[in-house]
Amino acid sequence: MERSEQQAINRVVHESDILIIGGGTSGCLAATELKEHYPDLDVHIVEKAHVDRSGCLAAGMNAINAYLNPGETAESFVKYVRYDSCGLIREDLVQSMAELFEYSVKKVENWGLPILCDDDGNYVPRGRWNIKINGESLKPILAKAARDSGARIHNWVVVTDLLMDGDRCAGAVGFSLRTNTFYIFKAKAVIIATGGAAGLYKPNNAADAQHKTWYSPFNNGAGYAMGIRAGAEMTSFEMRYVALRTKDAIAPTGTLALGVGAPLVNAKGERFMQTKYRHLGGDGAPTPYRAYGPIQEVKEGRGPCYLDTTHITEEQSRQLKSAYLDMYPSQVLYWAANNIDPAQHPVEVQTTEPYVVGGHCQGGYWIDVDRRSTVPGLFAAGDVAGGAPFKFVSGCWAEGIIAARAAGKEVSGMAMPQVDEAQIDAAYERTFEPLFNYSKIKYGVRPYDMEVRLQKIMEEYAGGASCNYEMNEERLMMARQHLAELPDQFDQLVVEDTHDLMRAHEVLDRVVVAQVLVEHLMARKETRWPAYQTRTDYPERDDLNWLHFVNTRRDPANGEISVIMHPYEQLIPGDRYHPGAAPKKPTA
Amino acid sequence: MPVIVDPDLCNGCHNAKQPPCVRMCPGDLIVKDFNSNKAYLKYVDDCWDCLPCVKACPEEAIRFQLSYQMGYFNATLQPHVHKDRQHITWTCVDAKGNSEEFQIRTKVLPVALDEKLDDDLTPDFSI
Ligand SMILES: Cc1cc2nc3c(=O)[nH]c(=O)nc-3n(C[C@H](O)[C@H](O)[C@H](O)COP(=O)(O)OP(=O)(O)OC[C@H]3O[C@@H](n4cnc5c(N)ncnc54)[C@H](O)[C@@H]3O)c2cc1C
Ligand code: SF4
Ligand code: SF4
Repeated sequence: MERSEQQAINRVVHESDILIIGGGTSGCLAATELKEHYPDLDVHIVEKAHVDRSGCLAAGMNAINAYLNPGETAESFVKYVRYDSCGLIREDLVQSMAELFEYSVKKVENWGLPILCDDDGNYVPRGRWNIKINGESLKPILAKAARDSGARIHNWVVVTDLLMDGDRCAGAVGFSLRTNTFYIFKAKAVIIATGGAAGLYKPNNAADAQHKTWYSPFNNGAGYAMGIRAGAEMTSFEMRYVALRTKDAIAPTGTLALGVGAPLVNAKGERFMQTKYRHLGGDGAPTPYRAYGPIQEVKEGRGPCYLDTTHITEEQSRQLKSAYLDMYPSQVLYWAANNIDPAQHPVEVQTTEPYVVGGHCQGGYWIDVDRRSTVPGLFAAGDVAGGAPFKFVSGCWAEGIIAARAAGKEVSGMAMPQVDEAQIDAAYERTFEPLFNYSKIKYGVRPYDMEVRLQKIMEEYAGGASCNYEMNEERLMMARQHLAELPDQFDQLVVEDTHDLMRAHEVLDRVVVAQVLVEHLMARKETRWPAYQTRTDYPERDDLNWLHFVNTRRDPANGEISVIMHPYEQLIPGDRYHPGAAPKKPTA
Repeated sequence: MPVIVDPDLCNGCHNAKQPPCVRMCPGDLIVKDFNSNKAYLKYVDDCWDCLPCVKACPEEAIRFQLSYQMGYFNATLQPHVHKDRQHITWTCVDAKGNSEEFQIRTKVLPVALDEKLDDDLTPDFSI
């Protein structure tokens, strides 16, 4: 069949009350909550992979990282998250999600998630905010609950853009990876839950390990990009996430630091966090400093750095490996393939490519406490939503639930919005252009080539790992200038099949996200979160001038990005640079 | 090369159009070749090493080793889901051939051999 033959592509229209884009952690909980409270609403989930194993949870989880262990409260959680995020968060958002941790965790436990309990039936804490789970099958458990709730699920449909009825979001369009189909989803409200963005910078590993990243390489920031194109306000992209991870395997380190109390040491065996960063909390310093500290050690010639596990027993070493098998199995194979036993050898660590992730940091949609974005009819939940760091799985569930309740209420009694055909035709052309180009353009640009170009620009001018994550105004100007060239080349992308069409949309979404990210990095003229945002020209934190959220909005009419400042509001009293007291351990 | 479908062990899940390995990959990287009736990792460079494909294969036909740049040959890690679906036994063999086993509690849900596509549209793999 001629690939350019437009007749060969079916058009399928679905009308629903609520459309959920992304059937991941947040999306599944949004669907179940909606069907529970509003059983008559027609709820559709559209997912680019298969809900059973899509998104961040594909490999599994071994802990719920945000939970109120005995003695903790939503207020104590806000205080801690505020400290961990260097004094600037949306306290209203963080508090509202903390209030739902227990509700959401109990819900998922009822669906069958094994949570570790002590002899008295209490959850086993790991630090102040974590509980241990056997979460290898967490994603299939969530997916089953979403399916059983009666929500209609469309797997393997890649969403490429939102549909609008004037200023109001009225649905989305996408294409199928499996059949020649263009999907038109019309809806009274849309909840976007597509996760954060990986792949903006050069990955840590190359060639056939290029996707050996920590964050899901398949989460490309599509949800950010769609919102940006529709004129939604975004916040705090400049608080990038640079994670401290194990060397090469790029596995999470909480299992080592919190699980077995492994301290950070440099090549000389010095506990540099305890000496140089003692005033900030030492080994318990805010997360950005636990990335910044090792980066400085390596930069100044005292690398490599390690999490020192050599105090643990062989039995603990086995337990450690078991914990990784629930979440990140390749770490266990990495040790085996490199003759490393964590009881004998300290575990080498490195920092990752920078990600934009609203669940660990706070880059994402600017939302109100109901998770409503600035575009009417469009809600955001999970890693795609901004302002509320330290979300993790349970915070993503909570946000899915909050968005669902508000969206359900909003659409009751509402009429189906109108979408004009011209808009749908334009979206169709835009969606399939790279595929149609196959028979039109002799030489074109492959998605992979554009991705590498993007990553090169970001790496070198916008603070990549090889530049110690550092940046200044002049370099950022270069990034802005080079990135501006890429959108003009979108019409030169050429692909042969629907899988590569997905890759094409991934890269063009990444370019849009990167452009906005650079504007954010440029706007914040202070260094609030070292490593995440190290401005060599403004190296200090500046509360007097910068206790603000940096937001951006792209004007859909002319594509211009403007910066908007929003003041920070302190709701919970107390020293913003103090973690708050941990509750006293009950004495037996 | 990270995960590899062993063509001697893969039976294509009989006549499944969307066998478990194809369905469970979050990156849409595994494809079934309907001529040979075998699945294979089509996009080798894009694998995340997350393993849903390996765990879901009823024939245990998918082998997990690391990309060579990440670790030495011939270390492997293979899960085996127990019949009660309450446990997985992982066997990890290191580069020197020593093996270690781990039994992990879990709750594996049944995975169907095939699944119908959305809207009952016939798949067209020619595009
Ligand atoms: C490796 C790893 C380990 C982690 N470990 C833990 C842990 O142990 N404990 C913890 O509490 N937290 C952990 N986290 C964090 C937590 O998993 C995430 O914050 C959370 O899962 C994010 O949920 P989400 O719904 O925002 O995104 P996801 O669950 O990733 O869902 C996003 C969904 O959107 C889909 N999608 C994306 N783009 C499109 C598109 N264009 N069209 C259609 N669908 C699309 C994706 O396929 C995906 O299914 C971990 C994260 C990672 C990456
Ligand atoms: S699931 Fe296993 S047996 Fe079935 S097609 Fe895939 S590799 Fe082959
Ligand atoms: S390991 Fe994960 S990314 Fe790689 S093929 Fe299997 S399911 Fe896909």
